[in-house]
Amino acid sequence: MVEPIYLIVIALGAAFLLGLLRKTGSALQIALTLAALAGMVFISAQWAYGIIKGTTQAAEIFTSGMNPPLSINLFMGRSEAVLLLLVNSAAFLSTMYLGREHKKTSVYMLMLLLVFVVGLNGIILTRDLFNLFVFIEIVSIASAGLIALRSDIRQLGAGFKFIIAGALASGFMLIGIIFTYYATGSLNIDVITGMMSPALASAGYIGLFLVFIGIMIELKPFPVNGWGIDAYQASIPPVSALVAAGTATAMFYAFTKITAMTGGIFLNASMYIGALTFVGMNVVALKQTAARRLLGYSSISQVGLLVLVFSLVKIFGIAGGELIVFGLLVSHALAKAVLFWLSGIIGKESINDWGIIRKRNILIVAFAVAVGALLALPPFPSFFAKWELITSLAVKGQYGWIAVILGGALLEAVYLMRWFGNAVKDSFNEEDNLDFRFGTLVPVITGTAALLALGYFSANLSVFENNINWLLPAVVIVLLLLDFLPAIVKNILLIAAIAWYGYPLLQAIEGYRSIFAAIFVIGAVITLLPGFMNKGRRPGFYPAVSMMFAGLVGIIEATDMLTFFFFWELMTLGSYFLILRGKKSKPHALSYMLFSLGGAYLLMTGFSMSFAEAGGTSIALDILKTVSGSSLSGIITILLAVGFMTKTASAGLHIWLPGAHAEAEGDVSPMVSGILLKAGVFGLLMTFIALGDQSIGKINIPYVLSWIGVITALTANYMAAMQEDAKRLLAYSSIAQMGYALFGISLMSHLGWLSALSLAIVHFTYKVILFLSVAGVVHRVKTRNMYQMGGLITRMPVTFFMVLVSIIALSGIPPLAGFSGRWLTYNAVIEKGWLLQGVVAGVSGLIAFLYLFRLIFAIFLGQLKDVHRRVKEAPFWILLPQILLILLVLYLSFFPGAFLRPIGDIVSEFHPEGALVWNGATAVSEFGYWNGEAVMWVFIALFAANFALLFFLNRGAQKIKQFNIVYAAERPARPETTHFAYNMFAPYRKALGFLEYPITTKFWSGVADLMHSIAGFTRRIYTGNGQTYLLQIIVFVVISFLLSNGGK
Amino acid sequence: MIKKAFTFLMLGGLGAMLLNFILSFRERTALPEVAAHYIEKGPAELGSANIVTSVVVTYRGLDTLGEVTILFAAAAVVGLLIHLNRNENAVRREGSEILKTASALLFPLILMFGAYVFLNGHLSPGGGFQGGAIIASAVVLTVLASPNRKIGHTVLSVIESISGLAYVALGAAGALLVANGFLDNRIIPLGEFGTLFSAGLIPIIYTLIGLKVGSELSSVVISLNGETIEEDDQ
Amino acid sequence: MIGTIAVSTGSLLVLVGLWSALTNRDIIRMIVGFTIFDVGIHLIMISVGYISGGTAPIISNLSDIGVSYVDPVPQALVLTAIVIGLGITAFMLTYAVNMYEKKGTLEIDKFEELKW
Repeated sequence: MVEPIYLIVIALGAAFLLGLLRKTGSALQIALTLAALAGMVFISAQWAYGIIKGTTQAAEIFTSGMNPPLSINLFMGRSEAVLLLLVNSAAFLSTMYLGREHKKTSVYMLMLLLVFVVGLNGIILTRDLFNLFVFIEIVSIASAGLIALRSDIRQLGAGFKFIIAGALASGFMLIGIIFTYYATGSLNIDVITGMMSPALASAGYIGLFLVFIGIMIELKPFPVNGWGIDAYQASIPPVSALVAAGTATAMFYAFTKITAMTGGIFLNASMYIGALTFVGMNVVALKQTAARRLLGYSSISQVGLLVLVFSLVKIFGIAGGELIVFGLLVSHALAKAVLFWLSGIIGKESINDWGIIRKRNILIVAFAVAVGALLALPPFPSFFAKWELITSLAVKGQYGWIAVILGGALLEAVYLMRWFGNAVKDSFNEEDNLDFRFGTLVPVITGTAALLALGYFSANLSVFENNINWLLPAVVIVLLLLDFLPAIVKNILLIAAIAWYGYPLLQAIEGYRSIFAAIFVIGAVITLLPGFMNKGRRPGFYPAVSMMFAGLVGIIEATDMLTFFFFWELMTLGSYFLILRGKKSKPHALSYMLFSLGGAYLLMTGFSMSFAEAGGTSIALDILKTVSGSSLSGIITILLAVGFMTKTASAGLHIWLPGAHAEAEGDVSPMVSGILLKAGVFGLLMTFIALGDQSIGKINIPYVLSWIGVITALTANYMAAMQEDAKRLLAYSSIAQMGYALFGISLMSHLGWLSALSLAIVHFTYKVILFLSVAGVVHRVKTRNMYQMGGLITRMPVTFFMVLVSIIALSGIPPLAGFSGRWLTYNAVIEKGWLLQGVVAGVSGLIAFLYLFRLIFAIFLGQLKDVHRRVKEAPFWILLPQILLILLVLYLSFFPGAFLRPIGDIVSEFHPEGALVWNGATAVSEFGYWNGEAVMWVFIALFAANFALLFFLNRGAQKIKQFNIVYAAERPARPETTHFAYNMFAPYRKALGFLEYPITTKFWSGVADLMHSIAGFTRRIYTGNGQTYLLQIIVFVVISFLLSNGGK
Repeated sequence: MIKKAFTFLMLGGLGAMLLNFILSFRERTALPEVAAHYIEKGPAELGSANIVTSVVVTYRGLDTLGEVTILFAAAAVVGLLIHLNRNENAVRREGSEILKTASALLFPLILMFGAYVFLNGHLSPGGGFQGGAIIASAVVLTVLASPNRKIGHTVLSVIESISGLAYVALGAAGALLVANGFLDNRIIPLGEFGTLFSAGLIPIIYTLIGLKVGSELSSVVISLNGETIEEDDQ
Repeated sequence: MIGTIAVSTGSLLVLVGLWSALTNRDIIRMIVGFTIFDVGIHLIMISVGYISGGTAPIISNLSDIGVSYVDPVPQALVLTAIVIGLGITAFMLTYAVNMYEKKGTLEIDKFEELKW
């Protein structure tokens, strides 16, 4: 073990040595600097490893050969070692990034960099109050120098503001230190901590307060941090990265030392300041478009979160709190450094110009990883930290703080995901260049890899046992690494992987999970088949799609809440990437992500609440059952149900779906519509299986949901009928179908659930077919507008047949499989007595005929457009999955018992009463009976007879060619308006137009506008005037003093 | 006007905080424990007559190293900024004849006085920082007298670097080789109390600090005067 | 008594320094304000270490017993603080020089390139 004092010796020695090497080559200078930093990384790594492994004891370092408190002592413990490793690595990588930058500026730059690192190390190590102050000053001076490396007017202005604000903060701190010395007679942090008593705290109150507030100002609390944001924005990227990863980390650690020293008397203050900073900065960031300023906002808000979390952990005595704080801190530091480095590589001021990132795929990956880590998505350390935090807060009953933390995180997601979406979708100028070189790439890759690796390790640090199956995310990583292969190879690999993993899974899994497992696994294989059409590499598709399916399989396998939530978020993320690939899907993917995250946070809260209610010891999913009798069970049910309903896109939470599903790529739409939506159904079932029929007060939750379900079905069916775009039509149809599923579940009876489950299966089959059919058509005719199609029956007969069968199945009329669900629903409705809902469901079923008719009629019937006369049948790889599924539909239609019976057995486990009685192929319920097989034969007979009759009657009919002049007429100005399929249901629109009023869209866009105008208003406090900033700081100090001093 | 009134109000609030302290302030009649140790045991432990010096150089030596670092950083920033924005053609007004003559006369005397102050830092009031500042004042005088004269900047930076390196090396020697900790001054014998060659490393460190501070402050002044260190820019 | 007077004076200087830093738009005057602020702090520091009737902590003779010395610690601290303050002042002045050269003005409200 190298003595930690050498951290300081090495860096200072190198800095002084550089002074001697002024005249030598720049290569030698940078080599010396890097060598010194590498040495420091080595020393800190050695300590971190030793202490964590338990082979080394934490060490105290006495300077000047005297024992403290006579001399200044340093302390190297676990926290210190880890933070030093982080800070020194960030410094090393940033220096590497800088490369020969100092040739442009001067060797002073390297000296300042080393001095800066000395300061950071000192802040973390020292146990002396005044010494802490000295090191903070070193950091301020060095960073103020590094801000102005380019010495343009913006940097000078920002640097000056930074110095005067820092001088003010350090002035307060200095007065505080000397007052504290007066009160305690010591400067040693440990001695003062030991002496701290209420009496002493009161005598030295002003001193301690000034020390506290000085540190607080250094952490840049909202709203007195304009100077800090300017510095982030003005500095060159590697310096900003170092400030974000290094200074923020070290200062935060200093804050924790001071908090311990003051005996926690300012914890309430820091809690509120932290919360204000976290939420305030995220609000203000909504309006920001300058990339580095936005990152500055985000950095400060994350530090605010750290302060808040640290205070909460201390106030409520949360066990394992240190790990929570560390998980968040490390994730933030690494992610922010990566983002700042990226901003340098991109070299664009505005977040709207980041499209250039697509020139190099690795940069997109790094960007995604960094954003994911900031948003605490799996598998990053922050994910696990946030989970533990929220569950711990729930145990302490702090739901208000849970709301603050998750609400703030959602705001952060808005701007980060919007930025990511812009980068992936926006156009860019091909001639612009990236600063893409070894020196800039290594830091980015190292940071990205570290985030991924740490995620894996932090899962094991978690307090709770979890059974996360890392094989699943590993597949994603493998496909990411293999992204250079042709799409066909990757498709084979992925299908093979799914089959290899899924086959034993399907055999092993039991109960209602097996139904969904079948949909997910079989659906995955089938919907991947069209991928074989792709001749190129299809970059980015396979990591995303595998992530989604890994998530789906993961939630099926999960037995504990953490694992479930892990895979739930993984699935969300994967599907977001998939949807984002669509040409015009940018805004829809964003709203999808935001609704999903909001839903996920509700789930998290619901899980945490049940964890707390069940005694706070086990996170098994089974404990949901045990809380069904508790006083909070109603709220838990609502949280979980609403969380899952964001996925099934129930009315009110649906606005993301039509765009997302319609704009997705041809073979992605069936995945997200036919398969992914079932995850929500799965979740709803899981919730109600565990929690049962819950009420809040006199309001019965399933009753409310039943209304939501049928209203969703009604309005979505109507909206579907009014679409011109075939894919949007299908998307609305999915919303409606999920409404039926919700309705079925809400009936809370055997037949209701049976209908919901059978609907889940058949909806999967026909929705995949329909989306693929439409994809085939769109592939050929290059438009999604149905009025631009017509008569394609002659050109695409197979597709026509697929659509025909599917819409019959979908419409729920006999003889096809959809009818079974409908029949069961009505039986269940009568049984339950919810007739009014039944009527609404029935009406919406009628409206469904409108869009189904429109779909087949507008696309396939009528006259063939001239331009489509040479259109070919859909490609084989699009037809193949449809054929496979149509066979399944027909099988299920012939033998409904084949799937209704086993599902019935499964449902009987939860609702034994009212089960169907099977009499051969006949299902008998309380209210009637149904024999799918017989009905099928009757239909076939009737169909054949009618067909023959028509054929016979029409045998003399004349076939009218398209350009038969008898039918010719004048050509109108807008030809499409005369097409029968254009605004097809205008008369209905007159009657039912009120259904189209976009209440939900207006509501949500109102929320968005409100947040943005708050942001626009609030950010005016950042006037840019240094003097105003000074005044703000003083106001902050005075107000904080008044508030925290309160009664005294 | 409103802004000024508001500022006044807020400073009033700050004043109230400070007043709070002043009202509770009672002049001490006895030393705190640690300070008492420094006074009572300090001379025997470290051999320095000037207790402030022993606190500065040894007991709280890490602070002092940090302090030197801050000056170093400040000088580097000044050098950096001036380097980036050098104005080659600025011509400054020459000092008067009296100033020139006097400064030429005083220059060596001031240097000598500065050296005296830092060499006797362990015996009498003064020390490395004070001595260094005095030395730099000699340079200020020269710069004022003839602002257009080029001054050997390189020499200054070499002195600065070497003294800094030596300081760190001696400090490390305390940790590594001979004594008990980083910056321990007892790696050489303490000598006889109250004489020039006593107090172990203290006079040596103070000499290094004096040289370093003197050269740093001088180069700050020279830089602010508009000159830069010529570097090998390849 | 001496201590209280010095602490009060120091506090007053702190406020005066801040007042001039907050109300002068000229950057050089702001810097002067900050130096006054610093001096005030240093004065407070020194006076907190004052021991009634104490003398400078320089021991001329090891056998001197019963002499009352002032606290050496704040004196050492103030030395450090002064040097830090000096560094920061030099630093601010350099910025001021550069800012003036870039913009030809020293009004603080002319440097608002970055905001919001």
